[in-house]
Amino acid sequence: MDSDTDIGGPHDQFPSTQVSLLEATAAGLSSEALDRVIALYWKPVYRFIRLKFQKNNEDAKDLTQGFFAAALQRDFFTRFDPAKASFRTYLRMAVERFAASQYAAANRQKRGGDIQFETVGDQAVATESPEQAFEREWQRQLFSLALDDLRAHCDDCGKQLQFRVFQAYDLADAERPSYAELAVRHGIPETSVTNYLAWARRMLREFVTERLRGTTSGAQELRVEMRRVWT
Amino acid sequence: MDLSDSALDHLRYVAALPDLTGTRYELESEIGRGGMGVVYAARDRQLDRRVALKVLDFAMVGEAQLIARLEHPAVVPVYETGTLADGRQFYAMKLVSGARLDRHLAEQPTLTERLRVIRRVGEALAFAHSHGIIHRDLKPQNVMVGPFGEVYVMDWGVDAVAGTPAFRAPDDRLDQRSDIYALGALLNFSLPAPTPALRAIVTKAMRADPAARYPDVPALLADIERFELGLAIEAWSEPLWHKLRRFGSRNAVVLWLIAAYTLVKFLLFFLRKF
Repeated sequence: MDSDTDIGGPHDQFPSTQVSLLEATAAGLSSEALDRVIALYWKPVYRFIRLKFQKNNEDAKDLTQGFFAAALQRDFFTRFDPAKASFRTYLRMAVERFAASQYAAANRQKRGGDIQFETVGDQAVATESPEQAFEREWQRQLFSLALDDLRAHCDDCGKQLQFRVFQAYDLADAERPSYAELAVRHGIPETSVTNYLAWARRMLREFVTERLRGTTSGAQELRVEMRRVWT
Repeated sequence: MDLSDSALDHLRYVAALPDLTGTRYELESEIGRGGMGVVYAARDRQLDRRVALKVLDFAMVGEAQLIARLEHPAVVPVYETGTLADGRQFYAMKLVSGARLDRHLAEQPTLTERLRVIRRVGEALAFAHSHGIIHRDLKPQNVMVGPFGEVYVMDWGVDAVAGTPAFRAPDDRLDQRSDIYALGALLNFSLPAPTPALRAIVTKAMRADPAARYPDVPALLADIERFELGLAIEAWSEPLWHKLRRFGSRNAVVLWLIAAYTLVKFLLFFLRKF
């Protein structure tokens, strides 16, 4: 850890519960640490395989499952060197190699290489590369998990109203209600709407940071990943 | 929880906004992104003035204090440092109006003006170096030229900044000579068609070997000043014809007077003879 830096600022109001991936690996990689990685990366890996290798839903699921199973058996985590690449890049490249080797093996079995990849429904309209889709899905999953954390935190400390206000405004897919409408709807002053939203966003940021902390190698990589998320 | 693309973008945006609760500032708008964080225009309610608020991505204990130590006309003054409710550090500084150097150069200023800006930047660097501070990320985007010609060097670097490739010295460890390299790159960037002398200054400043560069910023600035005065520069051993041409242009009036005097004497000599 850098002596003069502290990601996310002082954590006096939100003590960190996560250790970095390297620390977790050094300590024998608990199932909780593995769950964190798989929770964050299962969907991005699945999406990447579908687009990159034009696999159908079931095949992509099997390959994704196979990748994580193989990763656990083959010292995938202990071979990660943060000096060479971020964990996200390391994982994506490993997925690519794994899927390519599976494809080659399947080809050999068919002896003629007559395997036909199926066209993925959304491939035709995809405007982003598989790598971009992987990155986008990673961000989506990161925020989805952080939102789950936020909801659980609100339930635990009796702040369901704060979450409802946040959900009604920041998670609205259609037109967002005004602060005044939200105040009337929930029977609270408009200033409370402002405060609840500020609080929920602040907590969301903390949970995103925590999720990142558990799936990066340390302060340096966490810093780079945070810049990717927030810019 | 499944998130649509638009919901994801919105969350990334709102969660990144600084929470100014408990501070004297009101957020106005984002005005730029630097190596270490985002800069916003904000209003200081207590003093009723606009400021630039730099919110750091991660806590850098020394950055604001480091910049606050640099009291120089070409360094943006820091008003205050603090910590936001979300734990991020920020500092408030003077809101500078004007154009970034790359945009300023797009208006085709004269060579004199281009060199003036470089000299102002160099003076700020020399001042910082005398305080043991290096910039680390000098580039056109980090230099502002105000409406009255004032020049500001922004985004003073800290250890985490790696520099920008075209302006970054190929040094293993960044130090004052790395800033000299960047200043040479900035000079090169500022000159669309450099003269041989100016090209020599750029080349010397940007040598791959730090020891072959100018020993310090004042030495580089002195060469620029010598060029402007029409004197020989240290970075280039010029050919004889160039020396003569420079001598000619530097002493044009005297040479014209001597030529006129010689011509008159010559005419008088012939008039007396015939």
